[in-house]
Amino acid sequence: MNHRKTTASIGIDCGSAACKGILLMDGKIKEKEIRPTGWSPKTTTREVLEELLRRADLPREDVYVVVTGYGRLGIDFADRIVTEITCHALGAEHIAPGVRTVIDIGGQDSKAISVKDGFVTSFQMNDKCAAGTGRFLEMSAHRMGADLYEFSELLKARKTCSLSSVCAVFADSEIISLLASGKTREEIAGGVIHSVVKRVMALAFRIEVESPVLLTGGLAELSVLKEVLESEIGKPVIASPWSRYAGAIGAARMIERRKEM
Amino acid sequence: MVKISTELPQVFGGFAEARQNGFLAMKAIKDKGIGVVGQFCTYTPLEVFMAADLVSVGLCSTSDETIPAAESVLPSNLCPLIKSSYGFAITDKCPYMYFSDLVVGETTCDGKVKMYELLAKEKNVHILELPRRQNTPEAKALWRAEIARLIERVEKDFGVEITEEKLQDAIRRRNTERRLLKEFYELSTMSPPPMTGLHQLQVLFGAQFKFDWQEKVDEIRKAIDTIKKAYEEGERPVPASAPRILITGCPMGGVTEKVVKAVEDAGAVVVAYENCTGAKQMERQVKEEGDPLTNIADHYLQIGCSVMTPDDNRFELLDDLMNRFDVDGVVEMTLQACHTYAVEAYSIKQHMKNKNMPYIQVETDYSTSDVGQLSTRLGAFIEML
Repeated sequence: MNHRKTTASIGIDCGSAACKGILLMDGKIKEKEIRPTGWSPKTTTREVLEELLRRADLPREDVYVVVTGYGRLGIDFADRIVTEITCHALGAEHIAPGVRTVIDIGGQDSKAISVKDGFVTSFQMNDKCAAGTGRFLEMSAHRMGADLYEFSELLKARKTCSLSSVCAVFADSEIISLLASGKTREEIAGGVIHSVVKRVMALAFRIEVESPVLLTGGLAELSVLKEVLESEIGKPVIASPWSRYAGAIGAARMIERRKEM
Repeated sequence: MVKISTELPQVFGGFAEARQNGFLAMKAIKDKGIGVVGQFCTYTPLEVFMAADLVSVGLCSTSDETIPAAESVLPSNLCPLIKSSYGFAITDKCPYMYFSDLVVGETTCDGKVKMYELLAKEKNVHILELPRRQNTPEAKALWRAEIARLIERVEKDFGVEITEEKLQDAIRRRNTERRLLKEFYELSTMSPPPMTGLHQLQVLFGAQFKFDWQEKVDEIRKAIDTIKKAYEEGERPVPASAPRILITGCPMGGVTEKVVKAVEDAGAVVVAYENCTGAKQMERQVKEEGDPLTNIADHYLQIGCSVMTPDDNRFELLDDLMNRFDVDGVVEMTLQACHTYAVEAYSIKQHMKNKNMPYIQVETDYSTSDVGQLSTRLGAFIEML
């Protein structure tokens, strides 16, 4: 058997906002790719796959391909389809070896996962609602006329205010009244982050949060979010530049759990 | 005495074929002069109606179709089963509700109890007062008296006499039916099971809508024999590697089959149901010797359900099923706003943890909007096993 055949793998995590791809060779990350999911998860997933294959100069049949994320449904060109919960646990183990808890704040849902040796031992996921997700943050930023970059700039003021609603619909009207009452955008941005963390903590308390804790998902790069989460959990939280690729890395590492056909 | 209704509803013309068939089947029964009793709960002693030569049918609805109509009266944060059942009553869209000459409710959960008061404005309703304890002499005496009162009501409403012999005969026939259904689902103790969990559920759920008793037991017998024969001939509809799942929690059927589908699409198989559609009502037999009324009362009162406190019988049945069906994981389905099951889920979770049994609770309703979330959650759970 060709040596390459058994060791090259691609994991694609097609989330609601971004589609992330990782190419692993001999267990090491060789290539990464990220692009907005857009309106067709299937097309975007295929594009990410083709891009990674092109860069590594590998034919499709020499690579083991696993697709995860909400866009996994309906994909017919993967070797295996796995849920993002399983992939996040394995990817987290790659990013932070020995990790025991993963907090993932995704575009349309958030999860708290207990992990041992890269395997899921229990998990909690939010209900069909935008509370505590990237979408909530995005909607709130939009209401303040800020894009995500501006929003992260607003957070640098380290201000906050009380936003009582965790519901995206109610928070929207609450932000309007807060703006009307003279609160600054900096304060409201801080309030939005606290609201996201509050909702995520409700999930985290239902599993046993053990250290080390890794924050994954696109929002992991917001240092304020990490700080607020740390103070709520009362434990250090790791956020890595690889955090947003956790699902894709885990998907690529599923090659280790490949069932012999 | 009630007048047995035989008219089809005004809106009949607009019904889909399957439901038209339901209406026509019910109408054929009514045209023979047979009375129909609708009921909502596994605690309702069907032997009473059988002994009165009446047809009984489950009214727990499983679709979200009439929820908007129900919400014109009921609060929206109420369990979908209650809302939908009430909705069908006020819209004349359910053949079974529509043709029920008597509707028997029971004091199980608070939501149902108050809904029945409203339902009584639309239908002829009788309420059974179900105690919340199973082992005190007072609870047992109350429940026996309640069943005696139900017998009186049925005798009066339908102008029949329910003799001891008729009750005894009904016990025997219902025992036969329970024994057969149990034999049917116990086929899935085999490894690999000879049928999918969806198939098993559809038979268990469908059995309550077969109104000719002899036909029903013949059909179940035939189903058992056919499945056995196919298995002996080597047919394996489920791979041996599929993790074996037990489903527990709120009543299941109709749209909530989505939970079973999500489990089985992820490569597992549901082998047993610890719920009202499954083992809760089939596992035990009613005693055939002695006073039939006492035997019926004692039997039904011991059903394990989260409305009881304490609910030891449910835990016992769960342990027994996990053992007999060689279960790899337990999935609990709770319906939104079902407080008793939702709260008890915590105790079930702890119980499973102590037994090292993987467990997940999913909360759902009668919509299909959470199919994606269910597939991720249950998929990850199955991958975890």
